[in-house]
Amino acid sequence: MGVIRNIQWIVGRQRVTTVIPVVLLLIIVLAGIFAPLLAPNDPNFVDLSHKLQGPSPQFPLGTDQLGRCLLSRLLYGTQVSLSLALLIVTACVSIGLVIGSLAGYTGGKVDGIIMRICDAILAIPSLILAISLIAIWGAGWKQMAIALIIVQSVYYTRFIRGMVVNLKQQTYVVAARIMGTSPVRMVTRHIIPNLLPSLFIVVTLEIGWVIMDISALSFLGLGVQAPTPEWGAMINEGKTFIRSHPRLIIAPGVIILCVVALLNIIGETLGDKNGKAIPMRKAAKHSNKLKGGQHEREGNHS
Amino acid sequence: MSLLVADQLSKTYKSTGWFRSDQSADQGVHHISFTIESGSCLGLLGESGAGKSTIGKIILGLLAPDSGKVLFQGVDLYAASRSQRKELRRDLQVVFQDSYSAVNPRMTIKQIIGEPLRNYERLSAKEEIRVISELLEMMGLRADDMYKMPSQMSGGQLQRVNIARAIALKPKLVVLDEPVSSLDMIVQKQILLHLKELKEKHGFSYLFISHDVMAIHTLSDQVAVLDNGTIVETIDAESLFDTVHPSCQRIVGAKSSDQFEGFVF
Ligand SMILES: Nc1ncnc2c1ncn2[C@@H]1O[C@H](COP(=O)(O)OP(=O)(O)OP(=O)(O)O)[C@@H](O)[C@H]1O
Ligand SMILES: [Mg+2]
Repeated sequence: MGVIRNIQWIVGRQRVTTVIPVVLLLIIVLAGIFAPLLAPNDPNFVDLSHKLQGPSPQFPLGTDQLGRCLLSRLLYGTQVSLSLALLIVTACVSIGLVIGSLAGYTGGKVDGIIMRICDAILAIPSLILAISLIAIWGAGWKQMAIALIIVQSVYYTRFIRGMVVNLKQQTYVVAARIMGTSPVRMVTRHIIPNLLPSLFIVVTLEIGWVIMDISALSFLGLGVQAPTPEWGAMINEGKTFIRSHPRLIIAPGVIILCVVALLNIIGETLGDKNGKAIPMRKAAKHSNKLKGGQHEREGNHS
Repeated sequence: MSLLVADQLSKTYKSTGWFRSDQSADQGVHHISFTIESGSCLGLLGESGAGKSTIGKIILGLLAPDSGKVLFQGVDLYAASRSQRKELRRDLQVVFQDSYSAVNPRMTIKQIIGEPLRNYERLSAKEEIRVISELLEMMGLRADDMYKMPSQMSGGQLQRVNIARAIALKPKLVVLDEPVSSLDMIVQKQILLHLKELKEKHGFSYLFISHDVMAIHTLSDQVAVLDNGTIVETIDAESLFDTVHPSCQRIVGAKSSDQFEGFVF
C-alpha cells in the first residue's frame, strides 16, 4: 500500500514532458512482453537459404547470417534484456535495503565493517570485477547475473545507508523512538517509505546502466549465450558483417540507445521535480563516472 | 516521591574536527538540578542556545549526560535495563516545536496517533478508532480529521495532533519543547489553555520548555531560569516578575517587554 502511494506521489505530479518518454518506454516494454504474439517468425529458426536478406514482407527487418528473422530476434531480445535487468535490479534493491538499513540504522561497528567492505569492492571498477568473477565461474547468463548483482548491490547499499542515516535524525523518527516503536518497525514504517521516492529515481537511472552491462558482457561472450537473442549478443554475432550488412548491429544498437536514453531522461526528470533526488543523482553520477570506460567501448561497437 | 529528579546533570558538546575554538568548550549544560512533582508543570525559561533542548533530550533518555542522574519515578533512566526503559518510556512523552517535522509525512493522522497505542496496547480496530476520535475531540479537532494527511492540516491543528499523540498513552510526564513557539498568538493561547486544562483534568505533569515568558507564566507552576547552560534561579511562576536575580531579571524583562509590544495592536 505504501509502495503504491509512493509511486502515485512520484507519478502524480508529472507533466507531458515526462509522460512522452514513459509512454515510449512502455511501448518497448509491451513489445517485449508480447513478443510471442508480435514476432512474425521464430527467432531461432535457422534457414541458410534466406541468410542476410534485406527487408521483405516476410522478414520486415531482413535476416541475419543464419537466415533468422531480425525483427523477431529483436522483440525476443527485448524480453531477455529487460527481464534480466529487472531481475538484477530487484535483487540489488532487496540486498541494498536489508544491508543498507542495517548499517545505517545500527551505526557503530556494524556500520563501519559493512562500509569498509563496500569501499573495498568499490575500489575495483565494477565491470572488471564482474568479468573476473565470470572468469572464475565460467560464462553464462546466470553467472553474469550473480556477478552483476554482487557488484551493483554495493552501490545500492551505500546509497540506502546514506539515506537511512539522514532519515534517522528526522524529528519524527526520534519521536517514534520515544513512543516505543521497535527498530524493525521504525525501519519498515518510517524510514523505508520515506526513501522510496528517491530510490525509485535511482533505480530508473540504474536499470539503464544494468542493460548496458548485460549487453556489454554478452557482447564479450560472457553473458547470454547464442542462440538466445539478446541485444549485446546480437551485436557480437553481427560484428563480422559490420561493413557488408551494418543493419545487423545498428538495429540492436539503436534499441539499446533508446532504452537507456529513455530511462535516463525519465530518471533525470523525476530527479528535477522532487528536490529529494539530489543525493541520489550524485550517487548515480558517481557510478556513471566509474562506468565511463564501458560506455565508450559500447559506443564504439554499436 | 517526586515524579522526576534531575540531579547535577552536566553535558558538554565536544567539538570534533581539527579546529577547536575556545568558545566551544563551555557549550552545553552544567550542574542542572530540579524536581518535578506529580501533576505540576515546571517551566524551563531561557534564551536561544541556553541549553533548554539539551536538557529536554537528557530527560527524554535521548542524550546521555556526562555526569549526574535522571530519576524518573525513582528509577535511574540511564542505568535502567532495556525492558525497564521501555516501560518508563510509556510514561514519558514529548511534543516538539515544529509540528510538521514531528510526524511522518506519509502517514494519516489516524496512523500517527495510533502508533503509541499499537506499541503498548492491544486494541481492536474499533476500539482504536474510538480512542483516536476521543483524543482528537479532546484536543478540539474533529473525529474525521483522522483520515487526513499531515499536509492537509494547519500548523496549529497538527500541533494538537502531536499533543494528542503524546497523551494517547496517558503518560505521567510530557516534555513540551517549545510546543507553541512557531504558532500565531491566538493559536498559542488556545493550545496553552488546552494543555492547562488537560493537566488539571488528567493530572499530567509537564516540563515546559520555552523562551517566552508569557507562555511560561500561563502554564507553569514553577520556573527554572536557564542562562548559559546553568540554572540561575528556580521560583514560583507567580513571583516570576518580582525576581531580584540580575540575569534572571534581564531574561524576564527583555522577553516580557517585547511580548507586551506584541499585544498592542
Ligand atoms: N549536537 C550538538 N553538537 C554540538 N553542539 C550542540 C549540539 N546541540 C546543541 N549544541 C549547542 O549547545 C547549546 C545549547 O543548545 P540547545 O539546543 O540546548 O539550545 P536551546 O536552549 O534549546 O536553544 P533554542 O531556543 O534555540 O532551541 C548551543 O550553543 C548549541 O550550539
Ligand atoms: Mg531548543
